[in-house]
Amino acid sequence: MLEIRNLRKSFGGIEVTKNVSLSLAPGERRVVLGPNGAGKTTLFNLLAGELKPTSGEILLDGRPITHLSVSQRARAGLSRSYQKNNLFEDLTIRQNLQLAAAAGKGRTTSLLRDPLRDRELAAIVEEVAEQVSLSDMLDIDVRHASYGNRRQLEVGLALATRPRILLMDEPTSGVGPGMIKGFHHLLANLPRDLTIVIIEHDLDLAFDVSDRITVMNYGEVIFEGTPEETRGNHLVRDIYLGNWQADA
Amino acid sequence: MVMFQQTRTHTAVCLAILAALLLYAVMGGYFAREIVVEIAILAILAISLDIVAGYGGMVSLFHGAIMGAAAYGYGVLTVKFEMHPLPAAFLGVALAAIFGTLVGAIVANTAGIFYIMATLAFGQMAYTMVFQSRWLGGDDGLAGLPRFDFEAIGIDMNDPLAFALFAIVLVILVYLAAAGLLRSAFGRTLCGIHSNEARMRALGVSTWIPKMRALGTSSLLAGIAGILAAQHTQYISPELLHWTVSGEVLIVVILGGLGTLTGALVGAVAFVALKHGVGGYTDHWHIVVGIMLIAVVLAGGRGLFGQCHHLLRQRANRSANATGDGSKSHA
Repeated sequence: MLEIRNLRKSFGGIEVTKNVSLSLAPGERRVVLGPNGAGKTTLFNLLAGELKPTSGEILLDGRPITHLSVSQRARAGLSRSYQKNNLFEDLTIRQNLQLAAAAGKGRTTSLLRDPLRDRELAAIVEEVAEQVSLSDMLDIDVRHASYGNRRQLEVGLALATRPRILLMDEPTSGVGPGMIKGFHHLLANLPRDLTIVIIEHDLDLAFDVSDRITVMNYGEVIFEGTPEETRGNHLVRDIYLGNWQADA
Repeated sequence: MVMFQQTRTHTAVCLAILAALLLYAVMGGYFAREIVVEIAILAILAISLDIVAGYGGMVSLFHGAIMGAAAYGYGVLTVKFEMHPLPAAFLGVALAAIFGTLVGAIVANTAGIFYIMATLAFGQMAYTMVFQSRWLGGDDGLAGLPRFDFEAIGIDMNDPLAFALFAIVLVILVYLAAAGLLRSAFGRTLCGIHSNEARMRALGVSTWIPKMRALGTSSLLAGIAGILAAQHTQYISPELLHWTVSGEVLIVVILGGLGTLTGALVGAVAFVALKHGVGGYTDHWHIVVGIMLIAVVLAGGRGLFGQCHHLLRQRANRSANATGDGSKSHA
C-alpha cells in the first residue's frame, strides 16, 4: 500500500535519512521506534510531503507520490498528526473537527452550503469526538482546553479527514498513564482496514498495538520485525536499555 | 479570530444602523443625504476589506485601487464609449474582480508585512498608471459620469433622496452577500487558513486557491463601492486609487472591529460622523480619529462593535454561571 524506496535526506552535509526502505501492507499497524534524533519525525515529514527527499521514492498504491504537495498527498488519503500540537487555536473543538471533516470530504469551496450545518459532516465530527473522547467538550475553545484534550484533538483532526493511511507522531507524548490507556482503546477500536504508522516511545504500547516494528537509529533502519522478534533483539535492547552511547 | 456568526447582537446593531441611515436620509436635507451616501460607500468598501483582512488574515492595502478600477472602468465605458450605465457598471465590477483575482494569485503565497507591501505596490502601480494616462484624464480625472436610469420604474436617480435610498439598498445587499460568503464552506475554509494555514494543507486543502479567491470576491464587492462612488459625484480622479484611501478603510475596519462584519458598518458610521461632526469645528479631525483608534487598540483591538459584543457575551456567561446552569458546570 505504502512503499518507501531508498529514501535519503540531507540538511547541508548532514544526512538525517540514510537509505530508508519500508513497505506497508493494507491495514498494517507499524510502530517506528528509536531514540531522539533517530530521524523518525524527518521520515514522517518526508512521507507527508513537508520535506522533499534528496533522493529516493515514495509510492502509494504503486504510484509515485514523491512529487506531490502536502495537500495533494492528504487528498490521496495520507493523514498525519503532529508531535507538537498543531491545531486551530482560536476555534472551538467542534469547529476544528468540522474543518478537518470538510477537508476530508472535499467540501471546502462551495459558496452556498454552511459546513457547520452539514449533517453528514456533523455525524463525522460526533463519531471522531467519541473515538478521541472529546464528546463532552466540543464547544470549548481549543486555547482553553487542557493539554491532554488538545493531544486527543491532534489525533482527532487526522482521523476526521477519514484517511486510508494514518501517520501519528508520538500521539501520547507528554500525557499520563491514564491517557495512554485511553489511546490503546482508541487504536483497538479503529477500523482494521486503516493502515497506521505510529512513532512511539512507550515500549509497552508499541509491542501491544503493532503488527510490525521498525527500529531507527542515526537515520537508518537498523531492525524490522514482529513485536516478539523485536523484544529479543539485542540492538533494540542496547538502544533502550543501558547503552548510553547509542542515545548520545 | 472567531468564525462568523450572525448573532442577535449583530442583527440588532445592523438594523439600528440601517434604520438610523434611513431616517436621516428621509428626514434630513440634501447634506444629510450626501452623508448617507458617503457612509454607504465607505461601509461597502469596509465590508469587502473585512472579508480578506478580518476573516482571511490578509491585510490588503490596495482596496482603494480596486474601488478605483471599477470606477474608472465604469467612467471610461460610459463617458468615452457612451455605453448604457447598467452594463457598464457590471463590467466595471468585473474589472475590479479580475484585478483583485490576478493580484491575489501573485500575492497569495506571501504573508504578514510582505502581503501588505505587495498589495500596496500593486495599488500604487494602478494609481500611477491612471495618474499618468492622458486618455484617462490624468490628474484632472473624468467628469460627466451618468447615474443609473430608473425612469422606467418611476425613480429619478438624480434626486438625492432616491440615490441615498439606493445606496442603503446596496449596503444591505453587500452585507447579506458577505454574510452568506462567510457562512459558506468557502468562508469557513478561509477562517481555517487564517487560523493555521499549515494544518489546513496537511488536511488536504491547497491554500493558494482559496486565498486568491478570497481577494477576488472581496474585490468584486469593493467594485460595487467604486460604482456607487463614481455615480455619487459623477466625477472620478486618481485620488480614488491612492493608497491613503486604502489606509483609511483599514482604519475604519479596525475602529469598528476587525473580523466582525457588522463592525465595518459601525466603523463607517463612526468615521464619517467624526469627520463631519468634529470637522465642523476643526480641520484636525483626524487627531480625534487617531485617539479613538489608539484607545480601541489598547482596549484589546476588538473595535467598537467587537468590544461591545465581547462585553455582552461576558455578561451573558456570568449570569449563566450565576444561575447555576448545571449543564455547563461539569465541563
